[in-house]
Amino acid sequence: MSDILKSYPVVALKQVSPVYFRLAFAAPGLARVVKPGQFIHIKVSEGFEPFFRRPFSVYRAHDGIVEIFFEPVGKGSRLLTSKKRGDTLDVLGPLGKPFTPPAAGIKQIVFIGGGIGAAPFMLFSDRIKVHKAEKLLLYGGRSKAHTFSMTDFKKNGVRVLTATDDGSVGVKGRVSELFKEIRLAPATMIYTCGPRPMMAAVQAFAKVHDLRGEASCEEVMACGLGACLGCSIPTVHGYRTVCHDGPVFGLNELVF
Amino acid sequence: MNISVKIGNVVLANPVTVASGTFGHSEEMYQAKEVRCLGAIVPKTVTLHAQQGNPPRRMCEVAAGMINAIGIENPGIDAFIATKLPKLKKIGVPLIVSISAHSAEDFVLMAEKLNVADGVAAVELNLSCPNLQKKVLVAQDAEATAAVIRQVKAVTRYPLIAKLSPNVTSIVDIALAAESSGADALSMVNTFAAMAIDVKKRRSKIGNFTGGLSGPAIRPIAVRMVCETAARVKIPIIGMGGITCTNDALEFLIAGATMVAVGTYNFINPRAPLEILEGIRVYMKENKMTDIRELIGSIQR
Repeated sequence: MSDILKSYPVVALKQVSPVYFRLAFAAPGLARVVKPGQFIHIKVSEGFEPFFRRPFSVYRAHDGIVEIFFEPVGKGSRLLTSKKRGDTLDVLGPLGKPFTPPAAGIKQIVFIGGGIGAAPFMLFSDRIKVHKAEKLLLYGGRSKAHTFSMTDFKKNGVRVLTATDDGSVGVKGRVSELFKEIRLAPATMIYTCGPRPMMAAVQAFAKVHDLRGEASCEEVMACGLGACLGCSIPTVHGYRTVCHDGPVFGLNELVF
Repeated sequence: MNISVKIGNVVLANPVTVASGTFGHSEEMYQAKEVRCLGAIVPKTVTLHAQQGNPPRRMCEVAAGMINAIGIENPGIDAFIATKLPKLKKIGVPLIVSISAHSAEDFVLMAEKLNVADGVAAVELNLSCPNLQKKVLVAQDAEATAAVIRQVKAVTRYPLIAKLSPNVTSIVDIALAAESSGADALSMVNTFAAMAIDVKKRRSKIGNFTGGLSGPAIRPIAVRMVCETAARVKIPIIGMGGITCTNDALEFLIAGATMVAVGTYNFINPRAPLEILEGIRVYMKENKMTDIRELIGSIQR
């Protein structure tokens, strides 16, 4: 436990869109070992309000700095927006099962992210920069406020296609509208993370085209360690914990 | 300094343990050398047959606590003995196995299976299960509690701990029934029946509709129950209910608990049991105590 429960100093908090924030903290050990798709469990307050820790996927991890990407929608994430440089962050992690790196024979990698669900794909694209496959990110957000600079993805050789519900940026509609924009390669691997209806659509798309894929799930969590069995979701194998058996599952393992 | 305690004929190195369902199933996350420091550990309750647990959502947070209705998801006692027990045994910390059943017969069957297993220090009976004859929990019925304990006591080779439910009119009456039917110790208390409602959807926040409340929110009630019970029974009490830090644990010990168990707060601070163990030592030293028995039940009236 002493390896994975530590306090780290906050380095920077940046607002990157009207609704999205990035929080960076210095955690050299964590930055080294965290794998794309894993999460960290943050105790956002000193007291009991809110009571649970809050899980965040890791957006970036390099040069001793770990960054999370979040939208302050609940009382936990809202508290994080008051963090300042030098504050400490009580972090448990890295936790959970990461994405499986794409096999060498994969010709096309399609990341499909909804809102903050795109966060783990930044770290993922950092880590597979040398992989020769064509890389795409299909990003879906509610409106322009729910989009952010994709420069870093582009630097990693990822082509970005965007859809917004109101059409203020990119294609109008859900991220599934972007499925028809992509020309599938013979060996495609899909990685998705976002709201459950979006991932259900991705699962259906993958089934029709017989594509392999993985999906990262989100649930309210208590322990984050697989102890309380509180975050279980239905899978084809029965109930499985998001925190410990996941958060990454085979796309066709999930039951929507 | 002597901080060892006794449950039945088993001596435990110190009075700090964990509540069932808050620690097991994740052995690999903990370092054996840390877990070995505890007086004992209590893995998640096992039942005779495998149970898949309740449909989501299985829990929600509330002010200073949580409500859960996990539904005792577990692999069943045979799989537990075959696969979990050997791993837990390897840690080298005394193991209190928590079992639950719908009938005295099933409790007895499980106790017999544990008799031939290796590496068990004590057995805890989770009595917060429906009593099929009476439509209440076994733990809510003094006679049913006594009947289960008497029958298990007749077969088990381990000290027997009865885990009591706080959802009763008089927990002292249930505790006395447990003691007189042969329980070697009491675990108290289990969760409080509770619910929380999503007002937008006008639905319960729990898939099972209701659940059990735990965490700091229940601690003052649990302390009162332990204090009242300790004054009336001679067997040791394992006190639990919202313990988060040394001070919380001391309250239970002073109230009369022989041991303390960290439950829900393991989910927030997995290191809490170890911090509390150290904190008890510091408190005793500061108060010039050399034996934990000077602390247990030291409440002034």
